[in-house]
Amino acid sequence: MKIQLLPAVLACCLISVIAVAQQGPVVLKGGKLLTVSHGTIENGLLIIENGKIAAIGSGMAVKLPGNARVIDVTGMTVYPGLIDSETNLGLTEISAEQMSNDLLEPSDEIMPHMHVYDAFHAESELIPVTRINGITNAIVAPRNGDTLPGQDSFVQLDGKSALEMLLVRDIAMPLNFTGAQRHNESWDKRRFPQTRMGMAAQLRQAFLDAEDYRQKLIDYEKKKSEPAKADEKKDDKKDEKKSEPTPPKRDLKLEALLPYLDGKKSIVLAAEGPSDLETAVSLAHEFNLKFVLNHISHSQPVLDYVAALKVPVIVGPIYEDPKDYERYDAVYSLPAQLYKRGVKIAFATYDAHNARNLPYQAGFAVAFGLPPDEALKAITLNAAEIWGVADKLGSLDVGKTANVVVANGDPLDVKTDVKHVFIEGREIPLASRQTQLRDQYSGQ
Amino acid sequence: MSRATIRFLLFLRFTSAILLVSALSPAQTSPSPSAHNELVIRNAVVMTATHGSIKNGSVYVKDGKIAAVGENLKAPSSATVIDAGGKFLTPGIIDSHSHIALDDDVNEATSPITPQMMMIDAFDYQDKAIYRGLAGGVTTSLLLHGSANMIGGQAIVIKHKYGLNRDAMLFPGAPRSIKFASGENPKRVYGSKDQLPSTRMGNFAVQREALVQAQDYMREWDDYDAKVKRSDKDAKPPKHDLKLEALADVLRGKLLVQIHCYRADELLTEMAMAKEFGYKVRAFHHALEAYKVADQLAANGVGIATFADWWGFKHEAWDAIPWNAVISMRKGVRVAIKSDSEDFARRLNQEAAKTIRYGGATEEEALKMITLNAAWIIGVDDRVGSIDVGKDADLVLWDGYPLSSSGVPNRVWIDGDVYFDRSLPGYGMPHYQEGQ
Repeated sequence: MKIQLLPAVLACCLISVIAVAQQGPVVLKGGKLLTVSHGTIENGLLIIENGKIAAIGSGMAVKLPGNARVIDVTGMTVYPGLIDSETNLGLTEISAEQMSNDLLEPSDEIMPHMHVYDAFHAESELIPVTRINGITNAIVAPRNGDTLPGQDSFVQLDGKSALEMLLVRDIAMPLNFTGAQRHNESWDKRRFPQTRMGMAAQLRQAFLDAEDYRQKLIDYEKKKSEPAKADEKKDDKKDEKKSEPTPPKRDLKLEALLPYLDGKKSIVLAAEGPSDLETAVSLAHEFNLKFVLNHISHSQPVLDYVAALKVPVIVGPIYEDPKDYERYDAVYSLPAQLYKRGVKIAFATYDAHNARNLPYQAGFAVAFGLPPDEALKAITLNAAEIWGVADKLGSLDVGKTANVVVANGDPLDVKTDVKHVFIEGREIPLASRQTQLRDQYSGQ
Repeated sequence: MSRATIRFLLFLRFTSAILLVSALSPAQTSPSPSAHNELVIRNAVVMTATHGSIKNGSVYVKDGKIAAVGENLKAPSSATVIDAGGKFLTPGIIDSHSHIALDDDVNEATSPITPQMMMIDAFDYQDKAIYRGLAGGVTTSLLLHGSANMIGGQAIVIKHKYGLNRDAMLFPGAPRSIKFASGENPKRVYGSKDQLPSTRMGNFAVQREALVQAQDYMREWDDYDAKVKRSDKDAKPPKHDLKLEALADVLRGKLLVQIHCYRADELLTEMAMAKEFGYKVRAFHHALEAYKVADQLAANGVGIATFADWWGFKHEAWDAIPWNAVISMRKGVRVAIKSDSEDFARRLNQEAAKTIRYGGATEEEALKMITLNAAWIIGVDDRVGSIDVGKDADLVLWDGYPLSSSGVPNRVWIDGDVYFDRSLPGYGMPHYQEGQ
């Protein structure tokens, strides 16, 4: 098996080499453009130049560049590259093979100094599989086994190397409070924190420690600036040396918490049921943390409370089983219920191998009341806005990065086949290890 | 003989079989809500799974069976008329690989050979997963032993009549199935305990040895039976051994053999082993590399119950491709899409629809993968799996197009009775109330 893998890995590298640069302008002609930001344009034209969307409009209104490659996409749908708001892409290859996994550090629950960019495997076979279904960008997060498992990165699913693909490092930090972070398995394996009380106490202590650490840094900076004043007074040079302050010992864990404590970045606050949600939110409020909510899969009874928080919600996976006391569609209908209350939502697969199925989660929410255009928005523009990249991504607008998908139907339907994927204007070959196996054996 | 006559004869065969079984089964005494309903569902797009779609079609249901199908049916005035409002009507979905309602008693992972395990003994008929599958349009499921053992236990076939008692949920007269497994799971389970098997060599040696023992056991009993027949006074019955009895039934062809198997080489080995010992493999389950050896599967008449696009969860799932189902089908393999999970069981329609995208299955081919083909794997295709006269009235009326992301069951009938109705408050079940 391992020997078989090698040629495929090489082939995959070749694929990414082929897709390096955009050759001249590309015109997508005749398609139905789902702009997400300004409605649908029938029989539209979209021009891609220098990796960006250079023009967009109806067939009549746009002038074609002379050297352009024109692709007739009549009868097709054209839409922005999809964004998965939480994945483990690049952190796993074969789930059951531990050596191929870099998902979680289970030794401690407070691990904010884990950075997924240190593990992100750009050559993962999962990435071509995902992007040829129209997913061009994703949040990569550690698995949710720790309360603070590390920091997320925002990636683009094509590029020469991890350096290029990691668009925003440490974009946000998950804080998981779903109960799954307790160590309450069998009695002999139990350890702290075994309960939600333990989880909360540990989190509080971590943020208090970070506050102290921040104070020490502030004090140090303050002291450092004092000798300068003393210098102006032209004091004794010997005394000056004596009073030079020592910086606090660098603590990577606490340092990693500071941007969140300072409200410069967002926490991704995960809870499922109402009680965990309210505990997690009160914790965030205690330390003035800026946050977006994650999952809240079983919180139907408190959606007005959620709406009043006025924060976006990363919703899903929509396939999460309801609790026994819930109706069969309690999780399916959650996105629509949130939308009705004015909450901005984005979908996530929380997966790696199955991240390609992101659009179907949105499509399933449509069956339970979410308007189709809102469902598409939740995997494009809403996600881009939540992650602060809407100036470049999330809609078909002039000046945005040309992450563009062409498919033969409704982007949210399982039957729809993706026909072209552009990432930064580069046309991505619709090839993966799986298409290679298909081609190898289908002619058998 | 005309098609209609054949159908009529088949119909008789089913009903007599059912009468026989139900006379013996305690299901007879359980409350069967309104099983002798007469109803006609009109104005539906009837997706039959065997003979195309009938626009503006009707289905007449009498005594729990499909009594007529077609355009402009003339049903007796005694029948309740249901206007489907142009919605799609399909056969009830059949899940040919499920482990729900077993309260985690899926694997007796204490020995690699446990054919004497009976899943009925663990059947937790109140498990809400049965309801959630029902709400996803599933009417019949095969509840299998897990894959920890090379030879696991004996399955049960249930109908998703949530709210009824245990025996009323069993599919009357369904054939017995036994679960075999191969590859990583037995290897891991026993290898991690430093026991045999810990390799694929060990796996198959353990399986072969058990089958050899079963041959001996069968021979002893055959000798005894022969002696009894000729009134031999020395006839002494051999000791009953539940384990070997079950395996002897495999050799006698009394059990449908359902084998959990991923890799192409193992699919071939399992078929060779079956040939060596003279039993038939009914279907390979998961079978994610079936596309590599589809010709051989087709030649042996072995079906597959596979995932639509699940992959990469372990090494033996690394070569899984979403085109597996359609490539195998085009080479003549009977293909079913199954759940193997509480989650997928709720949306098998979407999983089947993926085969339209990956490989270009037709609408009817995709539908068959979760109805008629699945029924064949379980051995109940003469009873359920299509909208044909004489079959059980297990039907799903859909909001939206069923083979899409947005198809959702509106109502589900089993044996002519509504068991799920989306428009009802609470759980949406006419035969179940909370606290029941």
